[in-house]
Amino acid sequence: MKGKIINRERFLTNVSSKIGGLTPEKSIEKPEWTVNPQHNVLKDFTQDQLVDVLKEQCQHIHTDFFQTTSDRLKDTLNDVLAQYATKSFIYSADERFQTYHLDDFFQSSVNEKRAIMEWDPEDRETSVSFAEKADAGITFSDMTLAESGTIVLFNGKGQGRSVSLLPRDYIAIVPKSTIVPRMTQATQYIHELVKTGKNIASCVNFITGPSNSADIEMNLVVGVHGPIQAAYIIVEDK
Amino acid sequence: MPMHIGEKDFKKRVTKGIQDDFMRGAVRSAQERLQNRRAAAAEELGDWEEWRTLGQQIRSHTVEHLDYYLHQLSEKVAELGGHVFFAETGEEANEYIKQVVQEKNAKKIAKSKSMVTEEISMNEALEGIGCEVIETDLGEYILQIDDHDPPSHIVAPALHKNKEQIRDVFKERLDYLKTEKPEELALFAREKLREEFLTADIGITGCNFAVAESGSFALVTNEGNARMVTALPKTQITVMGMERIVPGWEELDIVVSLLTRAAVGQKLTSYITALTGPKQIDEADGPEEFHLVIVDNGRSKILGTEFQEALHCIRCAACINVCPVYRHVGGHAYGSIYPGPIGAVLSPLLSDYDEYKELPYASSLCGACTEVCPVKIPLHEQLIMHRRKIVEDEKKSTLAERIAMRGFEQIVHSANLYRTATRMAPFLTTPFAKNNVITKGPGPIRNWTDTRDLPRPTKERFRDWFKNREKQGGAV
Amino acid sequence: MIGNIQKGALKVKVSFFITCLGDIFYANAGKAAVELLERLGCEVEFPDAQTCCGQPAYNSGYHKETLEAAKHMIEVFEQSEYVVGISGSCVYMLHEYVHLFKDGSNWQKRAIALKEKTYEFSQFIVEILGIEDVGASYQAVATYHTSCHMTRLLGVKEAPFKLLENVKGLKMVDLPYRHDCCGFGGTFSVKMANISEQMVDEKISHIEETEANLLLGADGSCLMNIGGRITRQGKPVEVKHIAEILNSRGDE
Ligand code: SF4
Repeated sequence: MKGKIINRERFLTNVSSKIGGLTPEKSIEKPEWTVNPQHNVLKDFTQDQLVDVLKEQCQHIHTDFFQTTSDRLKDTLNDVLAQYATKSFIYSADERFQTYHLDDFFQSSVNEKRAIMEWDPEDRETSVSFAEKADAGITFSDMTLAESGTIVLFNGKGQGRSVSLLPRDYIAIVPKSTIVPRMTQATQYIHELVKTGKNIASCVNFITGPSNSADIEMNLVVGVHGPIQAAYIIVEDK
Repeated sequence: MPMHIGEKDFKKRVTKGIQDDFMRGAVRSAQERLQNRRAAAAEELGDWEEWRTLGQQIRSHTVEHLDYYLHQLSEKVAELGGHVFFAETGEEANEYIKQVVQEKNAKKIAKSKSMVTEEISMNEALEGIGCEVIETDLGEYILQIDDHDPPSHIVAPALHKNKEQIRDVFKERLDYLKTEKPEELALFAREKLREEFLTADIGITGCNFAVAESGSFALVTNEGNARMVTALPKTQITVMGMERIVPGWEELDIVVSLLTRAAVGQKLTSYITALTGPKQIDEADGPEEFHLVIVDNGRSKILGTEFQEALHCIRCAACINVCPVYRHVGGHAYGSIYPGPIGAVLSPLLSDYDEYKELPYASSLCGACTEVCPVKIPLHEQLIMHRRKIVEDEKKSTLAERIAMRGFEQIVHSANLYRTATRMAPFLTTPFAKNNVITKGPGPIRNWTDTRDLPRPTKERFRDWFKNREKQGGAV
Repeated sequence: MIGNIQKGALKVKVSFFITCLGDIFYANAGKAAVELLERLGCEVEFPDAQTCCGQPAYNSGYHKETLEAAKHMIEVFEQSEYVVGISGSCVYMLHEYVHLFKDGSNWQKRAIALKEKTYEFSQFIVEILGIEDVGASYQAVATYHTSCHMTRLLGVKEAPFKLLENVKGLKMVDLPYRHDCCGFGGTFSVKMANISEQMVDEKISHIEETEANLLLGADGSCLMNIGGRITRQGKPVEVKHIAEILNSRGDE
């Protein structure tokens, strides 16, 4: 259902009158910008070089970095959970958990008496309250930005917003092919979707490490409202 | 909290700031850290100047076509099922927000950081109808707990407080028992606020940038509070200053990259959250209902004037972080929620010269602000334009100054008068001279000589020397 | 050959721009600058009709008044080959005239012509004469104050340092936080005297950290500000314009 728009005409007529009386409906072409430095960042880097950049960047964003093969992914996950003393976790409802054969991993977690839950888009209450108490949230990355060390999540349905937000720790599984140089590639991708009339996720999250704040004397404190620890596990594609 | 904060009298505010050693210590060390981090982040890119140029082009194009982009934005938001309210004044905005709150019968509101809601005193309006409004940004939370101490910085609102003061506030108000370690203070706030997020009826956010092409808007944070506010409550209201918009996602990339680098020296902050409409039907979290409030509140007065560039501001506070005046007087001395160079430019525009006539003069015009602004706003030149307006259009300068300047005009225009005036200088100042300096000057010079000596004019002016030398056969 | 100037070749003609403060208070700096330019092979003239660049009025918002000063100065230097001034911020003001006149107007064209031939003293020696070692010698431990207008607005960042590095006997010490303003700011120093005082005190504390006994600068107004505060406090730091050092041959 279309939402309401209130007071627009009076407001925009005033604005228009100040900037030369354009009619707001008239289409405006964006000019060609004279410089485009964003395209030069990490230009022509191979996928392996981008992994190196990401690895280096993780050190600056207080994020633990792991690299593994698709076969060993479950072991790496188990190692990380052990290292973080994870007793419970929630994970997004994402086909890729099956593609990467992580059923074993879930089973072994249960065997080790971890409480686990898959995000259930049908049951907000249970999902949110589980996430809120969970030690860790695990998601796949939809797109990964090497320059800034950022996980991009197109949140929606199975990829719940809370999985990467409410638990104490956040673990992102990063298929190597999802790594791109920087934000430019992600925003371009979204722009293309918009241009071709496709829907975009109601919430796109760019997540860079654990939450933090410098509000107290500019001292960086890691872990404020969101996760306190973060780990990225780079995995060779399946 | 209205735009105006603190004591009415500018001079008193400045004196208070200068005398506050705690605050000045906190500001000095914060400025130093932020300056270094910004400089390192800019340098690392290698072509920072190109980024700035691009930022400037994007911002000026957008503001020049603001009507078009706001129209597009509102269409897109409505298509997605969100509601858009255009508010010409702060009161209009508050009325609408109150109405939404009352319809929802909401009692508890969780809010992420927003300057525009401070500007329009939204919290007070909501508290007036019996709501509890909880600031969830750590800095804002500290200030709210401390009897609504006003913010002194647009990015780090509690920058004027040191950790011991924060510990004491928590102790006094919230029975906090731990130390002044920032980690412990932050953990305490995390626990306190977690409960609030989960039980809030409505989430209210500001907006760093709206994206016209898709009706989205981006929130740039480190703490994750904006994510909480937009993931958990059932209703969400976003309030934006009308100029906080970019044409599309490609431009969002640039302004966000400039913002995070210039503000805190980060490549990206921990969370950039881009929201598009209310949650979709098959989603569990996210708001069911979404309202966007677009606020003018004096901004359109700036459009089409020589100050239009002030609307390009992306609120990164880089200008504040390098400003030496800000360092010595602190944010509260500006008497506005917008302090520092951008505050000195913006506050008189959003309000008026009666309230903020001193601010354009609270600058040595050193240009440090202009040099760092990521979207190339010529801040110090805008301050000079304010001064010109105050003098020539508003005629608000003092009579003595006007007379002096008229005299100046006569003298500089005429070589003869100028020569006479400068020849007189040593004689006129002789009664005041001691050794080779003047320690107590007459009239307006007094303010100078209260703290500094003035050199005594040399008996032979340079021009006399040059002329005599020429007479004697000139150069070697 | 020294730098770009060939001995015996046609001399570079320089019109000297002394600035008000230079004329009245710092005649010595002006004298030294003229002597040095001549040593370096320039023919220096002094258009006696020159007055003030108009900056005090401009920065205070009196733009009509500034216009008169600008027109006068444009006329005074109309015939000059090069205009060389000894104060970075006043030189910048001469450049700024361009923005005072209507785009495309005749006056603006004349202002552009002035801008294109006007240089700050150290900038002129390094960029136009192409000289970095002027053959000076001076015994002191010195630090250098960068003027905001000269570095940020005029864009002259390196020239003074290059010249000072080559002065024999002179030991240069970096001034911490050298990009910070000294607090002068023209009328700011009297209108906002207490803020200005904090700024100059901070600057002096940084100067003291260097343990230099000599403070150099290329902007008369900053030097008057810092120097005035230093003598008031009786600090043992001497304040000089770089021209005085660059013209020194160790015999004074
Ligand atoms: S004026 Fe420029 S530097 Fe200052 S806050 Fe705005 S964008 Fe940042």
